[in-house]
Amino acid sequence: MSKAKKKKRTKIRIDYSICGEKGKIDPRNCGLCMRACDPAVFIMHETLGTEKQQKDIYDPQDWRITPIWGSLCSRCFKCVEVCPENAITITW
Amino acid sequence: MCQWCMSHGAGKKWYMNARNYSDELAEESNMKDYLTEQWMNFEQVYIRKIMGFSSKDLGYKLKMPIIGRVLRWRAESMIHSQKKKRNPVRADGHFGQVIPLEDAQIIMSELAAEPIICNYCMCRWMQRRKKEAVCINFGVLSEVLEKLPRFIPKDRVVRIDRETAVEKLEEFNKKGYISSVWFQPIPYINAVCSCESPECGAFTLRNNFDINVMYKAEYIIQLDQDKCQGCKSCVAMCQLSAIRFIPSMDRVIIDYNKCYGCGVCRHACKNDALKLIPREEYPGFDGTY
Ligand code: SF4
Ligand code: SF4
Ligand code: SF4
Ligand code: SF4
Ligand code: SF4
Repeated sequence: MSKAKKKKRTKIRIDYSICGEKGKIDPRNCGLCMRACDPAVFIMHETLGTEKQQKDIYDPQDWRITPIWGSLCSRCFKCVEVCPENAITITW
Repeated sequence: MCQWCMSHGAGKKWYMNARNYSDELAEESNMKDYLTEQWMNFEQVYIRKIMGFSSKDLGYKLKMPIIGRVLRWRAESMIHSQKKKRNPVRADGHFGQVIPLEDAQIIMSELAAEPIICNYCMCRWMQRRKKEAVCINFGVLSEVLEKLPRFIPKDRVVRIDRETAVEKLEEFNKKGYISSVWFQPIPYINAVCSCESPECGAFTLRNNFDINVMYKAEYIIQLDQDKCQGCKSCVAMCQLSAIRFIPSMDRVIIDYNKCYGCGVCRHACKNDALKLIPREEYPGFDGTY
């Protein structure tokens, strides 16, 4: 075999207009992608920038998911398969 | 003993020094405000930008020629920061060490400051949307966490006594969870966690990106090759994939590069083949935390 091809950067995108603080899905009620991903690439967090406008700062209500450890993604597409809203796309 | 024992252990291991748990220490440095600020939006810790970079796609960023090196240096100095003006929202001075069940139980029965609570684990929540009450926090951090509904189980008692904490740790450890103790921030100690990998962000950062948020234990595991019957039970217990069964030899082997010395595998062995030994007794492992 010749020298292994350098692996291109994996780009995982979540459509926040579907899943996120303004979308119809609150990731706190779904999270299927986070459960499906073996290397645990995703992180659910309070949406950056909205934390100070929350009604109750101890109980923030704006959440979204960021595919944070992109380099650990194996491109198994499990997350894409389980997402009920087709909110995830993966390219490279 | 590591450098943190030298500077914060008063002659013992850093997490065996009672002063690091004391309310006086917490008050002196106004820990309650610091920890409130830190925990209110802790899940943002990887998303926030530090010097223009967040942890998003850290693996790729670390490979960038100059930026990668700067990022690594920044991350390491942040995690191990002892500066007076630390930044709570960056989790400055926040790192942990793996400890065996026995040490975790000493902490809970003798050292931890009251009140003690058992709350939902942050990492499993943010990485798996899983609410599992396996984090034992104490001292002023308990009061901080009690204000945050997402970490507080509603259907059971949150404040627990020392005895219950000791029992719970045993239950978690036997389930396969690794005990770890945390500076938050250095030198104040207020948490004993029960972790899995890759759910725990600290293991992820160290195992994949070589950023030392989780030190290995003061112990190493030792396999008695003659006693091992090759039953493989221990393989399933290890969260770090440090044990492997070798069919031709009919026994397991240990990968010391992966092993953290947590001792969890011991619970699986019915043949007394796995033991924890102080790390410093082995010249080859001395200092390899
Ligand atoms: S493709 Fe597989 S490894 Fe990559 S993020 Fe999705 S589930 Fe995780
Ligand atoms: S599976 Fe899809 S809808 Fe569900 S949390 Fe993930 S991205 Fe959102
Ligand atoms: S360090 Fe371990 S127990 Fe603590 S929050 Fe993370 S995974 Fe949970
Ligand atoms: S092999 Fe090492 S890391 Fe794995 S369970 Fe045993 S002591 Fe822990
Ligand atoms: S549990 Fe004990 S006897 Fe069984 S494979 Fe592991 S070390 Fe060997």
